[in-house]
Amino acid sequence: MSDSPCQAVGDDNRVIALNSLAADAGIQIGMRRREAEAVCPVVFTVVADPGADAARFEPVVTAIEDLIPRVEVVAPGLALAPVTGAVRYFGSEETLVARAAKEVDARTGPGYRLGLAAGPFAARRAADLATAEDPIYVVTDDTAFLGSLDIATLGKEELAATFRWLGITTLGELSRLPREAIVSRFGPDGLAAHRLAHGDDRPAYPRQIPPNLAVEDRFVPPLESLEQAAFEARGLANRLMTELDEHGVAPHRVEIEAEADDGSIRVRTWRSSDPFTEEAVAERVRWQLRAWLDHSRFRSGPGIRGGLVRLRIAPADVSGEGRQLALHEDARSAAEADRALTQTQAIVGMDGVLQAIPQGGRDPIERVAWYRWGDEVPQPERDPAAPWPGQTPSPSPALVPPEPVPLEVEWEAGMPVRVRLGSRWEPVLSWAGPWRRVGRWWQGEGPGDRYQIVTSAGAFLCEVNNDRTFLTGVYD
Amino acid sequence: MLARRAGAGPVVYLDARGWLCPPAAWEAGIAPERLIVVRCSDPVHWARVAATLLEGIPGLYAEVPRGVKDAQLRKLAALARSRRVPVVLRPVRGELPSGLAHLRLEAREVRWDGTDAGHGRLQQRRLIFEASGKAMRGMAQTIEVEDHGADAVRLVPRLAVTPARRVVG
Repeated sequence: MSDSPCQAVGDDNRVIALNSLAADAGIQIGMRRREAEAVCPVVFTVVADPGADAARFEPVVTAIEDLIPRVEVVAPGLALAPVTGAVRYFGSEETLVARAAKEVDARTGPGYRLGLAAGPFAARRAADLATAEDPIYVVTDDTAFLGSLDIATLGKEELAATFRWLGITTLGELSRLPREAIVSRFGPDGLAAHRLAHGDDRPAYPRQIPPNLAVEDRFVPPLESLEQAAFEARGLANRLMTELDEHGVAPHRVEIEAEADDGSIRVRTWRSSDPFTEEAVAERVRWQLRAWLDHSRFRSGPGIRGGLVRLRIAPADVSGEGRQLALHEDARSAAEADRALTQTQAIVGMDGVLQAIPQGGRDPIERVAWYRWGDEVPQPERDPAAPWPGQTPSPSPALVPPEPVPLEVEWEAGMPVRVRLGSRWEPVLSWAGPWRRVGRWWQGEGPGDRYQIVTSAGAFLCEVNNDRTFLTGVYD
Repeated sequence: MLARRAGAGPVVYLDARGWLCPPAAWEAGIAPERLIVVRCSDPVHWARVAATLLEGIPGLYAEVPRGVKDAQLRKLAALARSRRVPVVLRPVRGELPSGLAHLRLEAREVRWDGTDAGHGRLQQRRLIFEASGKAMRGMAQTIEVEDHGADAVRLVPRLAVTPARRVVG
């Protein structure tokens, strides 16, 4: 096929891959199949089969895995492997990469490319720069390498076009701009781009997951057909995602572990830049099982001898990178929400669309750290878990005026009796407090006493300061 | 009210006064990352903002500032119906135009428990409100709800039903 134009189309009938002859004939990635065939009637078309791709890619992954444990398969054809430990074992990066290349070459022949750099994004770009003649590209200066990359490597055409229009053509130029300014102008996409330009494309604060979230099934008698195993995998994926949903997390990686009847265990990790959905997990498990089975059938690999007796799926890397999606939430609705909020920002201004995180403090208003939607989540200035003596107890008032509002309260023998609400006086039914707040005396603030006052019209949080009463919250 | 919707994506509080205190929403079960507050007090911009949000947000709680026209509210209600997005409208002053809301809740009485003469603290709220509108199929009901400030409210079993008002023609 190397001497004729070829293309591969995906499920949506769009071109997802093509050879150089097809490209020369005018076919482009993303083009509809019919359009492509109109442009080049002699093009040979194959329909993408990710399962088959995974099976063909399996020897490559196995070859790398023999040298470096815990390989992450991003997609059939692309795998990532953290090398820090392996470099220490082999002595140097060059030795390790040379060994990896030798292993892959021995099992699959030429055509592979290896990139080594700090972080998955840079490593992927390094592999892109490798050639068939020189299939290894080791980055020695990561900052300089990232800085030299074209802005188009971000993979977002519109964003890259806007950056170009602004005179920013490389990631180095982008990384030198202040992150706040980029986030203000471009929102979450800009933040992600700036992170990549800096080389920190991994989530900065991965969330801890409880260790017992893995799901597992045992099969007696062993499952011998792929369809049976895929059906069981679907149920297992459903269980996994239901449990994760209860914890409010979604995995970016899943580890698939299969045990054969002869006792051999095979493990593979799949990774996705978007959180996995139930369908995606089930699909990856099916691909992986098929890959192992085909590998054993055609290449006399270990396979799953005697059938599958145990299948285990373990979630990993459940960081809430970017917009945290729920499991039943699709990427499209997240994009719609982002678009709606971005348009809202355009109407009310950047400071009009806000989010908040908890922080420590005594008053309800002090316990909130606001930040603009789309900005990076800030670190709280005060520890919310620390003890805050004099803190007003929960529940919190639903409404808090930005500045305390003077309130007329009638007191008798130190007890509130009546409250003036608009034009009428409401009798106080019950009250609690005071909770004393010692102000910043060095800044001239005096102490204040806070009370919860209940009337038939509702409950209020008040503060008495210098014999004057102020409304500081409404329990709505 | 929107805590359940927060499971499906971000919920937005359209804050006309700038008084919203997020800890109350967090205590009601909305995760901090799921609550977005949009501050807009201008009645002209408010209608545009609300309509824009309805295009992409799974749930909206909106304070209605003074000066928003009835026609704008009706357009907004129609948009919410067509997009099947739950919207809670709460006027800062006055009332919503009649026939606008699918369900209309009007507080009749609120009772707080837990406080006494200088001791205790607010713990539990009992709300008595009247529910009317198309959702009630012409039968206005008085409903009593217990609210512990957590992420669930409980309907008090002894539900009081008031007869629908009849019209003599």
